[in-house]
Amino acid sequence: MYPYYALFDERRRETDENRFWFWNSMHFPVPMPAFDAICIDSPYQAVGAWQNRVFAVPPAMGIDYRCVNGYIYISGNPVTDPAKIAERAEFFQKRAGYYYENWTELYAKWRAKMEALIAELGELKVPSLPEYEPDEIAFEHDRNTAFYEVLDSYGRALRLGDLMWQHHFEFLLLGYGAYATFADFCKSNLPDVPDQHVAQMVAGIDVLLFKPDAELRRLARRAIDTGVDGAFVEGRTPDEINAELAQTDAGRAWLDDLEQVKDPWFNMATGDGLYHYYHSWLDDPRIPYASLIGHVAALRAGEQIDRPTEDIQRERDRLADEYASLLPRELQAPFHELLGLSRTVFPYVEEHKFFCDYWFLTRWWNKVREFGALLAHHRFLEDAEDLFQLTRHEVATALDELVLTWATGGEALGPKHWPPIVARRKQILERLAGWTPPPALGVTPEAITDPMTIMLWGVTTERVHDWARQQEGGTELNGAPASPGVVEGAARVVKSVHEIADVRDGEILVCSITSPAWAPIFSKITAAVTDIGGVMSHAAIVCREYGLPSVVGTGRATAQIHTGDRIRVDGSAGVVTLLGGRT
Amino acid sequence: VTYCRSLRDLRTADASEFGGKSAGLGELLAAGIPVPPGFALSASAFTQFVREAGLGGRIDDAIARVSPGDLDAIGAAARSISEAMRSAPIPDPVRDQVGEHYQAFASEPAPPVAVRSSAIGEDSQDATFAGQQESYLWVRGVDHVCDAIRDCWASLFSAPAISYRARLRRDQPAMGVTVQLMVDAAVSGVMFTCNPVSGDPSMVAINASWGLGLAVVGGEVTPDDFLVSKVTSEIVREQLGAKAVEYVPDPGGRGAVRREVSPQRRDVRCLDPMAVASLVDVARRVEGHFGAHQDVEWALARDTSELLVVQSRPVTSVPKRARKPPPKSAIAAVMSTFGADTG
Repeated sequence: MYPYYALFDERRRETDENRFWFWNSMHFPVPMPAFDAICIDSPYQAVGAWQNRVFAVPPAMGIDYRCVNGYIYISGNPVTDPAKIAERAEFFQKRAGYYYENWTELYAKWRAKMEALIAELGELKVPSLPEYEPDEIAFEHDRNTAFYEVLDSYGRALRLGDLMWQHHFEFLLLGYGAYATFADFCKSNLPDVPDQHVAQMVAGIDVLLFKPDAELRRLARRAIDTGVDGAFVEGRTPDEINAELAQTDAGRAWLDDLEQVKDPWFNMATGDGLYHYYHSWLDDPRIPYASLIGHVAALRAGEQIDRPTEDIQRERDRLADEYASLLPRELQAPFHELLGLSRTVFPYVEEHKFFCDYWFLTRWWNKVREFGALLAHHRFLEDAEDLFQLTRHEVATALDELVLTWATGGEALGPKHWPPIVARRKQILERLAGWTPPPALGVTPEAITDPMTIMLWGVTTERVHDWARQQEGGTELNGAPASPGVVEGAARVVKSVHEIADVRDGEILVCSITSPAWAPIFSKITAAVTDIGGVMSHAAIVCREYGLPSVVGTGRATAQIHTGDRIRVDGSAGVVTLLGGRT
Repeated sequence: VTYCRSLRDLRTADASEFGGKSAGLGELLAAGIPVPPGFALSASAFTQFVREAGLGGRIDDAIARVSPGDLDAIGAAARSISEAMRSAPIPDPVRDQVGEHYQAFASEPAPPVAVRSSAIGEDSQDATFAGQQESYLWVRGVDHVCDAIRDCWASLFSAPAISYRARLRRDQPAMGVTVQLMVDAAVSGVMFTCNPVSGDPSMVAINASWGLGLAVVGGEVTPDDFLVSKVTSEIVREQLGAKAVEYVPDPGGRGAVRREVSPQRRDVRCLDPMAVASLVDVARRVEGHFGAHQDVEWALARDTSELLVVQSRPVTSVPKRARKPPPKSAIAAVMSTFGADTG
């Protein structure tokens, strides 16, 4: 179900046992379906290629992963030989220097590259296998038969995915690195500065990721202005709402308006995008509709729902100016320079998620689903979704047999071979989901020195030692103080995107990690707690915008807290307390 | 000769004559920072007093005879000098000027005032250690004010002060005195315009407790401890103290009394966000005026909730942390993040 190289193996036990492995619950909070493991391989191939082989980050090569009971543990490969580090530094200085110097121009090219890639994915056809090939095959000599087209199309689908991951990581390390440098500069010269202020000074204002919700707010206002807001009743499904809207001219006009902005703005994933079941808003409109219902109700109640971009901009500049003025004179110029660089790289940091993880990936899963439909059509699978229980190589094998038997007319074994495997794997995944993996395995290091681990996962020496202390028991969880304030209330543990709809007004969201697509529920909750993530994580950013207390990177919140538990979230101190008792 | 001047008229340049505290309060008033009204006595009032009472020789004698380690001798010298000082009369011109100023600055007949020493010159740096920070609170009436002034002067010759000066071979000391209208404080405390522990210049570190400032300054309570952002007035860290005692004006009308804080009130946070915000505002103004980090004593008036500053002095104890030199450029700094330091 998982590749041989993904497992802890007797043959490399000695090395593996002496390494520090931490659960990457940021990206892989639940057990990996067999196909989805492609979202481990490809990213680590890509990040390693850039980090280790292109930029040659001096002290750190790529990241190894191991799969334990379906959960993914990762560990960086350090470079320790000083001569090697020096050799790599020369590469890094030249190559990274080039990127920083030409960032804006290169990033514009990157965006064009991503849009072209997404367009190419859209054009990729998954052929069906006809009883007779059409006339063109016979009469025009530049056509291929369906057996070739199916295999080629599957191969291309995988390659486009690999390409996306390659693009995904082209800027990522350098982007995060520039930001981390600014944050470190602040921390060493303004040691008590709240992390969220550092983030606030850098964060973009007109960020792409805020656009989808901005469109929903606009549509909510339009619904009220044109008198069709009556359709947006709590508890109704999107279909029921659409049906009512379709009955009036104004309602139809509203639906047209929605249609105009859906693409690209509804290409938001309903989760962090690395699992096949994170659909986009286009596929599953419940989230945007829940949001619309909320916005309409808020507007009716006379609330201000617009994101106060001018205030945010003003506050961001005020913070920057104030902090600069409080620094010793000789540090003011470096402060501004580092802030400037961080702001230059930040559009990529914030926007790559929309392009890659949401827009591309949700469409890519749908493309892969078409192969599932093809296999299901020929009874190799009971359902198109079952494809995701097979590895990408098994899918290739199944397709091989499918086109073979289609071509030969012989009896396919696939319909007898694959469905039992799928059924078994579904059972396994269900079992694995009930297990909570420990945050770390192997040897807990004295200190975390790998800049990548710290930068990308927020796994610091402090955090690792907190984990060691918290192994089971205790009524307090420590994390990063991500958004200030103290709130008590009932917890709502959300382990997957399907549970989002269960969130009730006034609850405290407890989750592994949130994605921007969850934004609508932030108007319902009173605080947010996550297992992993730093102050730059999505939950942290959104909580600050909504003024909700938030503690991120607690390691075990979803394991130790249950829905209904009364908890206190102290977003200023970074502490979550289980108060005992349930609601 | 002018022995007394209104605080309002003093500036830094007057520190050599009126002492650092009085001059500092004058500066604060000039900067528009709320400070209770008051007046200052010059060092020459003290020297005039010593001269007229013929105490000079006696002081010199007593001090010349002690060696720094001889605690008994020091104790005896201290007792003898302070007895002599307390029985000596305050010169008439000094007493008259004190009376004039005292009566002039408040509307009520015998307003309660705080009488504090205002150390001069290099003494001011050492004053805390040398036990010369005497404060007489809730003093009423000219006679009592004069007694308190004399007590301040006498504190120059407390046993620790004598021993301290003997060790450092300091000259004949002199001292100014500050007399300020008393604030009946619901809450009071001290704040630094930086974090004195980490050195973060963007923070205000506030210690606060119930009642008059004595409890915090004297270390008699564990105060509420706040670290507040200067930039947003957010409380970045707080640690509520067990504020077990407080000083309040003696119901008899004179002096301050120490009393237990009721158990319910001890652990209650004594500052609300508005008070914190006004402290930050004042901290920034004080710091801005002096152009250096300040250690500020403050009080929140019980009746008006007004925030008043009763003292400000430069922070001298900020740790000089070994700071990394400023990066040559942003790119150089980023290179170092990735372990690719240039040069």
